[in-house]
Amino acid sequence: MFSEQAAPTAQGLLAPPSGEPPTFPRVAVAGYSDLSQPFRLGERSFCRQYAHVYAVRLAGMRPRLEQRARGRWGEDVALRRLSELREGEKCCVVGTLFKAMQLQPSILQEISEEHNLVPQPPLPKYIQPCDELMLEDELQRIRLEGAIDVQRLVTGTIVAVYGCEEEDGRFLVEDHCLADLPPALPWSGPSSDRFVLLASGLGLGSMSGEALLSTQLLVDVVTGQLGAEGEQSCAAHITRVILAGNLLSQNTQSRDTINKAKYLTKKTQAASVEAVKMLDEILLQLCTSVPVDVMPGEFDPTNYTLPQQPLHRCMLPLASAYATLRLVTNPYQASLDGVRFLGTSGQNISDIFKYSSMDDYLEILEWTLLAGHISPTAPDTLGCYPFYKSDPFILTECPHVYFCGNAPRFQSKLLQGKEGQRVLLVTVPDFSATQTACLVNLRDLSCQPITFSSFGADAED
Amino acid sequence: MEQSRRITDSFPRRRRRRGPGRPPGRLKDRKDKDKDKDQDKAQLKVRQCPRGPSQAPPDPALMEMLRRFDLSWEYGPCSGITRLQRWERAQELGLSPPGPIRDALLEHRDNPDVTYRWVWDGLGW
Repeated sequence: MFSEQAAPTAQGLLAPPSGEPPTFPRVAVAGYSDLSQPFRLGERSFCRQYAHVYAVRLAGMRPRLEQRARGRWGEDVALRRLSELREGEKCCVVGTLFKAMQLQPSILQEISEEHNLVPQPPLPKYIQPCDELMLEDELQRIRLEGAIDVQRLVTGTIVAVYGCEEEDGRFLVEDHCLADLPPALPWSGPSSDRFVLLASGLGLGSMSGEALLSTQLLVDVVTGQLGAEGEQSCAAHITRVILAGNLLSQNTQSRDTINKAKYLTKKTQAASVEAVKMLDEILLQLCTSVPVDVMPGEFDPTNYTLPQQPLHRCMLPLASAYATLRLVTNPYQASLDGVRFLGTSGQNISDIFKYSSMDDYLEILEWTLLAGHISPTAPDTLGCYPFYKSDPFILTECPHVYFCGNAPRFQSKLLQGKEGQRVLLVTVPDFSATQTACLVNLRDLSCQPITFSSFGADAED
Repeated sequence: MEQSRRITDSFPRRRRRRGPGRPPGRLKDRKDKDKDKDQDKAQLKVRQCPRGPSQAPPDPALMEMLRRFDLSWEYGPCSGITRLQRWERAQELGLSPPGPIRDALLEHRDNPDVTYRWVWDGLGW
């Protein structure tokens, strides 16, 4: 794709400079619309409980699940609420899952003085064989057993279970189903090659400077200052760059200065100040050439709860002078050239990773699409804004490209749905660790990794 | 957060004027406690001054109807949002809440006892 078009002209680098250097105008932006309005919060009030989020999630997803249940177990399957269950009757119940996990960090246990417990260190996974699954609807809850994979599912998923109630009050599950892929969007993608570059986890402000060279190489490729004429003409087909979170490194988050005495920390500056200045300079180079969408991530200076609001433009004075810089929310939804993009900076996927037996980020990404919800574990284990009117994380339409940032490695898959949905799932790797970014071709929904490796201190040669 | 927080907000408030036709059997303290609780929360669309004599107080039948609307489980949780917000949310989710409740809420929108969730014995929020 990218390299195939570039290779034949590689010899051009060894030729004497030509009188008129060729210029390649960048492909014009056609049809961009930002659709992440549901993720923008205006006036925020935190005086509500989270019961509203779960109530609107269940009420919003119930019709779709009932339709799936009827399609799977017959049109005349009995759809009951938990309060209407009768012992021994085979029926279908739609509700929210709750997984009772012993190892789940609980703030109440930590601060309880009776237990005198040392706070639990963060574990990679909090699952245990003795975890239990409960189904809750608007009024009651019931324990689930049977043909349901307790380890795989997470709290907050809306699910329809088919089975019957046992004598001792448990529900024996014979079959269950999720909301499945949302309805498809019509396809109106471009007819020629157009690329979008997805990168995440730039990790600026970390102590090591090895990733900086790779970042500069990335910027140079996109702005067409690297490579022969072939590569430059290919780079001219890149219509957009999306930076999916973690622009700052985790090292900028250290809060040692809080514990130190005031006289020791008088002249110190937060590490994020220097990192944001670096980010501003990098974004300036990118914005002069290509539209850039900047999504905040876990370690970026914005709010912690999902949906994360855009970074403020006062932090990026040089780059925000350009209209090509767009500071957007996390999660981010937009329509580029008729192709619908939807993605997050990876907090939802890594949170499900901690509380489920699924190990593969691409598998978890696909599972969230099949569950019909971007982040089911919010607000249980992932911070979430207390919505009351509607849950904006419910997937109502199937995007064409669904990505998550800060994954351990690059993976992509083209998913075909039964109702004609075609989704490209991309896990964008962490750039500071892997020096890899992704190029998505909008014409045929194919994805290609592009790695900017440099010789490290250990390499011989 | 609201801008008009003062340290005297936590002191018990005394009502300056009494509206006419106040229904009998209502505790004076309960109304004061409601006002304190409402001010302690951030959702403040309530006027601080007591009701003027031009507005008629809502009758107990209306308050009973609103109380039943709060406690009906079909429309979701009732705490932390105004009754009108809850009615509109139920409408959007297609649960068809009864229309007269919305009319009553809009008619008495200046009365904090009507707009907010029914408070049980002065507790709750």
